[in-house]
Amino acid sequence: MKRIFRSNSKKEVLRILMAVFAALLIGFVITLFFSKDPIGAYVSFLTGPVTKLNRFGDWIQESITLALLGLAFTLVFKAEIFSLGAEGQMVVGALVSGVVALFVPLPSYFLIPLALIAGSLAGFLLGIIPGYLKAYLKANEIVSSLMLNTIAIKIYEYILTNFLKAPSGGYMASVYFPPEGTLSSFFPNIPFLANIRNIWVDQTTITTLIYVVVIAVFVVAYLMYRTPFGYELRMLGANIKFARYGGTDVKRATMLVTAVSGIFAGLAGAHLSMGVHARLLLNITAGLGFEGVVVALLARNNPLAVPITALAYGYMRAGADIMERSSDVSREMVVVIQAIIILLITAERMFPEVRRRVKTRRSKAAVKPTPKSRS
Amino acid sequence: MAFIEMCDIVKIYPNGVVANDEVNFSVERGEIHALVGENGAGKSTLMKLLYGMTPITSGEILLDGKPVQFNSSRDAISAGIGMVHQNFMLVPSFTVAQNIVLGHEPTKGSFLDAEEAVLATEELSKRYGLHVDATAVVESINVGMRQRVEILKTLYRGAQVLILDEPTAVLTPQETKELFLAVHKLVKGGKTVIFITHKLREVKEISDRVTVMRRGKVVDILPTSKATRRGLARMMVGREVFLNIDRPPIQRGDVALKVENLSYISEIGRLKLQNLDFNLYYGEILGVAGVEGNGQTELAEVLSGLCMATTGSAVIDGKNILNTTVRNVRLSGLSHIPEDRLTNGVAVKASIFENLIIDRYFKPDFLRGFSINYRKVFNQGKDLIKEYDIRTTDGSVSVGVLSGGNMQKVVIAREFSSNPKILIAAQPTRGIDVGSTEFVRRKLVQKRVDGSAVLLISADLSEVMSISDRIIVVYEGQITNIVKNTPELTEEEIGYYMLGLKQQDPEEMRANL
Repeated sequence: MKRIFRSNSKKEVLRILMAVFAALLIGFVITLFFSKDPIGAYVSFLTGPVTKLNRFGDWIQESITLALLGLAFTLVFKAEIFSLGAEGQMVVGALVSGVVALFVPLPSYFLIPLALIAGSLAGFLLGIIPGYLKAYLKANEIVSSLMLNTIAIKIYEYILTNFLKAPSGGYMASVYFPPEGTLSSFFPNIPFLANIRNIWVDQTTITTLIYVVVIAVFVVAYLMYRTPFGYELRMLGANIKFARYGGTDVKRATMLVTAVSGIFAGLAGAHLSMGVHARLLLNITAGLGFEGVVVALLARNNPLAVPITALAYGYMRAGADIMERSSDVSREMVVVIQAIIILLITAERMFPEVRRRVKTRRSKAAVKPTPKSRS
Repeated sequence: MAFIEMCDIVKIYPNGVVANDEVNFSVERGEIHALVGENGAGKSTLMKLLYGMTPITSGEILLDGKPVQFNSSRDAISAGIGMVHQNFMLVPSFTVAQNIVLGHEPTKGSFLDAEEAVLATEELSKRYGLHVDATAVVESINVGMRQRVEILKTLYRGAQVLILDEPTAVLTPQETKELFLAVHKLVKGGKTVIFITHKLREVKEISDRVTVMRRGKVVDILPTSKATRRGLARMMVGREVFLNIDRPPIQRGDVALKVENLSYISEIGRLKLQNLDFNLYYGEILGVAGVEGNGQTELAEVLSGLCMATTGSAVIDGKNILNTTVRNVRLSGLSHIPEDRLTNGVAVKASIFENLIIDRYFKPDFLRGFSINYRKVFNQGKDLIKEYDIRTTDGSVSVGVLSGGNMQKVVIAREFSSNPKILIAAQPTRGIDVGSTEFVRRKLVQKRVDGSAVLLISADLSEVMSISDRIIVVYEGQITNIVKNTPELTEEEIGYYMLGLKQQDPEEMRANL
């Protein structure tokens, strides 16, 4: 597989690390101005997620969602399709898997897979739409996918408030899922480790979906680099006219790419409903759908790098939460740092151009005025 | 002392490519100096440096013995150097006169003096024998006149030296002749001309001296009278080349592709192809000649399935292939070398291996279970790289790093290795060097000898005439002539049909169908 995408990956990793480091540094300088205890705030930001087991659990659990979303975005971005529909697909995935988990009376080893499949299928079906609109009606996928997000969220809210809301609760949420419909702890139920397992189950909500993520990463990598579908996807991204000229049905391929991407967003939704919250509630995604963009961007659309970038980005988000709670620095500070990271990483591609311009300007400034002679 | 001297010029691009490596180049006042070399030899770079378009890494330019430094084209223009680019830079909606004075407008008060502009244009036009219609809108004039407008524009700005970058690439033989006459007149009027080309015949025809470049260096500077076409070609490529390719006598077979009443109206409603009828036979090369933009592009795209025809049919083996899908057309045995390889022919970001399978990755041969059999892809790729002499270290590098000629070889390797019954070759040697050109032409002739049908669409008339068995001439989307390519056929004769000045008798055309 190396031979297909031979890139100078070491340099790449180094560059990204430098971008992250630079952003953290800038963030720290800004923090200096706003915090009475900047070092304490930064320490809690940087080390927070690993200081307590429950914090560690929150970090991993969010990283699972982020990784699945990252995979979804990797697929579309690699094909140079800028569909941002993951948010809506995630909501629909949460809804459909949640409904299955709530209402289908089956033992958990049937129910869980069924609910997960239903959730991904929902993501797949919703994913078809922006691809179809782009391929056949030349609709801009950014616009259509954002619109679809709103539609999906409103449908979710409608169904939640009118059909699923728990009668007793004042809060806009469904009843908790039955144990058969809830993802269990990732920790295998081994008799002599029962004590340790209990600690983990008590303090964290890391679910079996972590194994699904591991498999999903390899499935996406396989799809992308080994299958005809992946070849088409990459050629769409490399040069869509070339793909068309070569005989690829680019319309069908475009549709399939956005749809397959939806599978993973749908799974992320299922993770939220069946794992994280064990019920459906209002604003279940908390805007997480768009954070997957950063994960894919950091991974340079390489699915194999997605788990790492998801963990890194998840760590930063978890650290931010903790810093907010334990210091006088607000969460917005972290949003600033995140934004700087994204800026640096996207800007990094422009560095050679910037360098060239600076150079020419300098050389221009250095030369003596030209003798003007018009004969 | 030479008029222009470029001493020890080194140009290294930011990506590390050494485009000019200690080049010494000089031009005498009042001469026509041809600058030849393969693509990527550094001749365009050298001229860009002289024209101030890109900064010199090291070295010096002397004008009349005085060192000069150009930081932009504006400096070069004010020093009397003008350049006519391959792609014309005119404002289509302006008149000829307006285009010519643009940037240095004569004014009356603070307004443009339109009359003065027209007068100046006509005066220049008359003085140098570059006929233009000063009041015509640029959109409405033909390519030859646009080029004359470009030349006049540089003259109006006071150019003493004119750099012409492959000026004949877009011209018919008649227009080329006119251009050459004008160039001679310019020189008589005291101007100096640098003429970039890779058509060696033109070098012989027009220049006084010639500089040959190869791989960023000057190989030789010699008076044209001492140069031979073969010698120049050898210097450019670094080995012996054979531009005239032997063709064994024709063994024409059955009709491979029968085109009837083919019309095509473009998306914006222009009639691009009008009721075309012709047959393409197995074992022949059918050349399509015509000034560019007369429907050749559309013909290739409609036949290969990239565009939908408005009327008509194109039949292979009893089946109409028009208005199906590209894949269907390809599976019927048609291959297509596209005219613009960077747009259609390759994906520069993808590897060579991947570029070689776009037409076949889905075939059972290349699959193993659900996946593409990449071992097979690599092996096939390696074989093709060897067979088609694609110069690269490895097939996994991206196509974007290859030179134009090698990129074209990737396209050729793919399109030939699918064993097509019919091959549409659109501008197969455009922008590639002499060595690769020879290779490509040889391969095309080989296909014909193997019994395939080849439709050769080329703006290079000498190419069409050198390897075609029959020739179709198109003008404004119509066929004006179908003729057997005999030694008696001249470029001038074809030129009349290319310009639409002559139209073949329908009976005669039908006989040659």
